[in-house]
Amino acid sequence: MNRFFVALAASAIAMTSAPAFAGAGSVSLTSDVKIDKVVVENGKETHFLTAPQKVVPGDKLVFTTQYRNNGGAPVDSFVVTNPLPAGVAYIAEAGDGPLISVDGGKTWGALKALTVADGKGGTRPAQDTDVTHVRWSIPVIAPGASGSVSYHATVR
Amino acid sequence: MKISRSVLVSVAAGSAAVVSSPVYASGVSAGTLIQNTASATYSSGAGSTTVQSNTVSVTVNQLIDVAVAGLNGSPVTATSTATLSYSVTNSGNGSDSFKLTADPNVPGNAFAGTVQTIAVDTNSNGQYDSGIDQTISAGGATPAIAPDGSLKILVVVALPAGATDAQTSQVKLTATSAIGSGTAGTVFAGKGVGGVDAVVGMSKGAASGLDSLVASLAAISLAKSATISDPFGGTSPVPGAVVTYKIVASFNGSGTANGVHVTDVIPTGTTYQADTLALDGAALSDAADADGGTASSSGIDVSLGNVAGGSANKSVTFKVKIN
Repeated sequence: MNRFFVALAASAIAMTSAPAFAGAGSVSLTSDVKIDKVVVENGKETHFLTAPQKVVPGDKLVFTTQYRNNGGAPVDSFVVTNPLPAGVAYIAEAGDGPLISVDGGKTWGALKALTVADGKGGTRPAQDTDVTHVRWSIPVIAPGASGSVSYHATVR
Repeated sequence: MKISRSVLVSVAAGSAAVVSSPVYASGVSAGTLIQNTASATYSSGAGSTTVQSNTVSVTVNQLIDVAVAGLNGSPVTATSTATLSYSVTNSGNGSDSFKLTADPNVPGNAFAGTVQTIAVDTNSNGQYDSGIDQTISAGGATPAIAPDGSLKILVVVALPAGATDAQTSQVKLTATSAIGSGTAGTVFAGKGVGGVDAVVGMSKGAASGLDSLVASLAAISLAKSATISDPFGGTSPVPGAVVTYKIVASFNGSGTANGVHVTDVIPTGTTYQADTLALDGAALSDAADADGGTASSSGIDVSLGNVAGGSANKSVTFKVKIN
């Protein structure tokens, strides 16, 4: 099963360089996922990112979206929106992270500014596990420029 | 790709300070597909454009984990057997069954009980009901338990000969995944539900729980004394002197002694004196009848029935004459 999916992902990455995605004035998006293994040695954490072979609950994943402006003109107001897959929980960034939505993408903000229904008629502060979407805004991408955005999540 | 990979690593390193992730009970089900697709909108001269990324997919493998807990908060009283209750919980994310073993040899035990039966408490009443509760042979496996599901397991343990009152003994129930166990991270390829790989979790695929039983037994002790009354008003053991024997039975322990009889033989060289048998001062007829006492030239026998530990002492008396 896994081999199959890894192969699928690889073929999808290969597709992004195809002309269909790289038309004039277009931006290509390439999604990728890696498993984030932390090895602690002499008190120092080292992260190893590998293509996921065996994913089980509790594993940490890094979802990355690479973008590239394949056109000859700059693009602006570039917004990448990523709905979180079912089965993973967002891991909050230490510093400024992406914009967060906890209501399916209707409203956006910093996680600590958001609230969700507490199931008892009131609201409570939103937590990592409430995140439904993440979003990044890049004001301008110059022709030929590329970059990537990523978020971390735990397999529930 | 190579350039962006170095970007990735720096992103990951930057997040090293991230607080550890929340813990989930059993996690997303084995076999689940995690699929991620991003989209982007942007403006470029003509207007707004939306693009989709490819979709990346990861399959969730089966995590093998189990937890076992003793459910009896205090030692279970055993007069001859005790029924101990345990819970076996599948804390993995896929259906699994678990091989069960019950070990009565736990370090520190005052005695080792004899495991008679391991069964699923099918009707959940805490008691083993033969014919209703499904028994599991030693080393046999439970029925499949759903993720996060629990089974209540009963272990019937018998007191060994030699156990004494108030001694306690622990019995350890161990459940081991039927898929496999071992060091955390061990992979059993294709052995998970739906053919996904199964991976041993932090429990190492096996777990144990303890319950204990306490022996509740009765202890009887007898004290015999003799008082001599000779024909001359003295206390010398001469022919013709009457000896009054008194046997005092005392009952200790937390259990009940069933069918207690006090018996004694008439000493050689003496003759039982008819109608002198008494229990706690009340006469008992020599004949075998309703009063529970019999006496003859060979000996006496007094039935005390069932006596609970801690009951008042019972005193049996009878007289013989030295020939």
